[in-house]
Amino acid sequence: MVRKNILNLTIILMFGVLFAGLLNLNLFQGAKFRRLSDSNCIRLIAQSGARGNILDRNGDIIVDSKISYDVLVLPQELGQLDRIITGASRILGTGVKELEAAFRNNYFSSSIPVTVASNIDLKKAILLGEYKLEEPSIIIQPRPLRHYPYGSLASHVIGYVNEIDRWRLTKLEDYGYKTKDIVGFGGVEEKYDYYLRQEEGGSSVEVNHRGKFMRVMGFEPPRNGKNIQLTLDLKIQKIAEESLSGRKGSIVLMDPQSGEILALANYPNFNPAVFVSKRTRLIMGLFNNSDSPLINRAISSSYPPASIFKVIVASAGLELKKIKLSTSFLCRGSTMVGERRYSCWDVHGVQEIVSAIAHSCDIFFYKTGLLLGAQNIHDYALRFGLGRSSGIELPYQTSGFIPSPLWRKINKFQNWFDGDTANLSIGQGDCLVTPLQAANMMAVFANGGYLPSPYIIKAVGTLDLSAKKKKLVRVAIKKSTFEIIRRGLRAVVSDARGTGNVLSGLPVKVAGKTGTAQVSRGATHAWFAGFFPYDKPKYVICVFLENGGPGHAASVVARQIIEAINNHGLI
Amino acid sequence: MRNSFFRILILALIISSLGVLSIYSSTYQKEGTPWQDIHKRQMLWLIIGLACFFIMSQFSYRKLWDANYLIYGLAIFFLFLVFALGIIRLGAQRWLRFAWFNFQPSEFAKLAVIIFLARYFSRKSADDISLLSGKFGIFNGIILPFIFVAVPMFLIIEQPDLGSGLMLLLVFVSLLYLTNVRLKYILTLIFILILPLPFFWHFLRDYQKQRLLVFLNPNIDPLGAGYTVIQSRIAIGSGGLLGRGWLSGTQSQLYFLPESHTDFIFATFSEQWGFWGSSLLLLMYYLIIRQGFIIAQRTQDSFGRLLAYGISLLLALQVFINIAMNMGLAPVVGLPLPLMSYGGSSMLVTFIALGILANIDRTRSVF
Repeated sequence: MVRKNILNLTIILMFGVLFAGLLNLNLFQGAKFRRLSDSNCIRLIAQSGARGNILDRNGDIIVDSKISYDVLVLPQELGQLDRIITGASRILGTGVKELEAAFRNNYFSSSIPVTVASNIDLKKAILLGEYKLEEPSIIIQPRPLRHYPYGSLASHVIGYVNEIDRWRLTKLEDYGYKTKDIVGFGGVEEKYDYYLRQEEGGSSVEVNHRGKFMRVMGFEPPRNGKNIQLTLDLKIQKIAEESLSGRKGSIVLMDPQSGEILALANYPNFNPAVFVSKRTRLIMGLFNNSDSPLINRAISSSYPPASIFKVIVASAGLELKKIKLSTSFLCRGSTMVGERRYSCWDVHGVQEIVSAIAHSCDIFFYKTGLLLGAQNIHDYALRFGLGRSSGIELPYQTSGFIPSPLWRKINKFQNWFDGDTANLSIGQGDCLVTPLQAANMMAVFANGGYLPSPYIIKAVGTLDLSAKKKKLVRVAIKKSTFEIIRRGLRAVVSDARGTGNVLSGLPVKVAGKTGTAQVSRGATHAWFAGFFPYDKPKYVICVFLENGGPGHAASVVARQIIEAINNHGLI
Repeated sequence: MRNSFFRILILALIISSLGVLSIYSSTYQKEGTPWQDIHKRQMLWLIIGLACFFIMSQFSYRKLWDANYLIYGLAIFFLFLVFALGIIRLGAQRWLRFAWFNFQPSEFAKLAVIIFLARYFSRKSADDISLLSGKFGIFNGIILPFIFVAVPMFLIIEQPDLGSGLMLLLVFVSLLYLTNVRLKYILTLIFILILPLPFFWHFLRDYQKQRLLVFLNPNIDPLGAGYTVIQSRIAIGSGGLLGRGWLSGTQSQLYFLPESHTDFIFATFSEQWGFWGSSLLLLMYYLIIRQGFIIAQRTQDSFGRLLAYGISLLLALQVFINIAMNMGLAPVVGLPLPLMSYGGSSMLVTFIALGILANIDRTRSVF
């Protein structure tokens, strides 16, 4: 019978269709559906490790992390969620409304646990841990947070941590950075973020269709970031910051033999902890403050060096044989350069090089500078590391600026006049130097002719970097020249009329140069750059006070610091 | 010559045992005693079903000929009872509550209609003992039996249970095809049935419309009506070649798959046993249905033949539609997978039908 056979065939066809369906779903699309099935029921709960600590040269902690606890909830059905939130609110003592609002705000996707409360204290975390036995969909997650035991100490060196911004994310995405990652801003935190950064671990848990926790499937422990050891010395850093005591400016202390930065202090500074606790009002205050407390003045701002620049003019003059040790100029309080009268800050009478440095006689350096010419001064300034980046491992440093006739011609279409040379000779005009550059320059005189590359990172993790640092560069200047300048620098302090005479009473022999920079508005900037002990220098110091008055003010601060260092027995 | 009896018995026993295993795997993690006991209840139904199978295989199917009006009447009565209770309780209802179990009359009605139709088309002329159905005109051949099918069908669709209702219609049309009724009448019937389909759209309930739309594209409502199909496809597909292993199916055990122990038990099974297990299951269903066809073909008695065909077709269509719907190849209609899905009525009726099938073959050999 035909109908019978057709029916038979139809049945076979029907089963053929089902078999083809199986083939398609199980074999051809099996992998896809397996993935979908897993994403249905597997939730990943990330757990971050601790960011690396930042240590000082002796291994003492400057910044570390302390554990805080976050409360997370697996997204799930509303009724269930209400119960969990009510239970959690009873333990946390926070309102149900607040927790619900937090849930709504932080909700990202149904497959990601939502943070409802962060930074809860240990006692509550333990209580919640007990509640978790009843309600396994609650997750208490330890989260290491940046901890600053010394508050704002060395804040500019360290920088702060915050949620990654758009700009950084676009650049760093390829290196595994994600939205909402905590990254460093400014200082070591930014520059060495890649090493400090922790690696996320976490657990994968199985949930049911309502999002309810079923079991833990696997756990991958998070990895902590690498520690970074700085060359800073906590004691000296503290001394430096205390001596600034609310005055705008910066202080750099450096080892002239190696270029290690021993202290780098700025004021105004900031407390990086406000970024951890997310105190928005304080953070906004930092950004809007006209004194720019977030700026690392020692490397990111440059100022006219004023009289401390004279050591360069003096070196160039001696080196190019424009002046000799015995060359003298007469200071009558002013001199004519072209049509204009250039004055000195005092009347010094006959000045030779050593006394001119000691008294900071402008007339002597106007004349020396005019003998040298601007281009020579510029070239020698560059030999001392001015006008270019110091190479320190901190972000956002400026290179400062040393003008030259050629630069002016090309960029400003103006001619260079002798008056400009006179201005440059005393470190005024367009000339700009950062406090770190000033210290670095002084290091050359301290160590007898070697320009260091200042550095602040001693070790990353267990890897000691000091051996890998750039060697000091010999400055091509005769030994005798240095000797003369050093004598001058010592005379600044030892001479009864020396500008830095305030430092003479110290048990340590100090040498250095003061500077008083005139600015278009406000009080003058005060500089002191020097080194001590004079015979075998261990420290280079640069004190800079923004609108801090005459160089004498900076010398006073330097005196306090050197005294304190001496009292700590560090010399 | 009792081969067919054992073949049917063994295949049915294996399939329904796999059903019990699947039910256990999909419910053992649920809380509450009703869920914990569900596989035990199914085992109980299986034992009762086996008893029914033995009884029916001994009980001469010819007696059904005489009892057919009674059976048909009973089916209508139960369906009407459900219908009436549904009106009183203002809610959908597909079953009648008895002492400790729920009885689903629509399952019973399917078998009743098949018995009725088999008798109807195998009546013989008093003059020459030839089949009357060969001489049927359009009224006797199509319209009258259609009315007998339409009454229970209407009551079932009203429950609402579109799947079982349409199942009756499908069985009717395919049985008609196997009788001597002229092809052009059958084609006319099909034509008349298909023609007003767009018109029936307005009579469908909202959820039924939704299901049909979702069948065309499950992603229009992934968390609503399309959810089940999507999850069921994921469950079947994630089984892969060898399956995830018994009690390791996340889709069914973590409740992502709704109805994992009833209508979507195939997905539950397939997730755990994979391509191999599912192919074997399909093969077993095919063998049992093929056995029915073989029995039908070698039966001389036209009532027995039509009855055997009807039972095999009912089984085949339910298996096909259920599994196709699990795979997203057919719209979601509430149809159980015979022998596997949880549910006493379906289990009992299927075993009774298989018992009748065995009896038809047995009676043939006695002749």
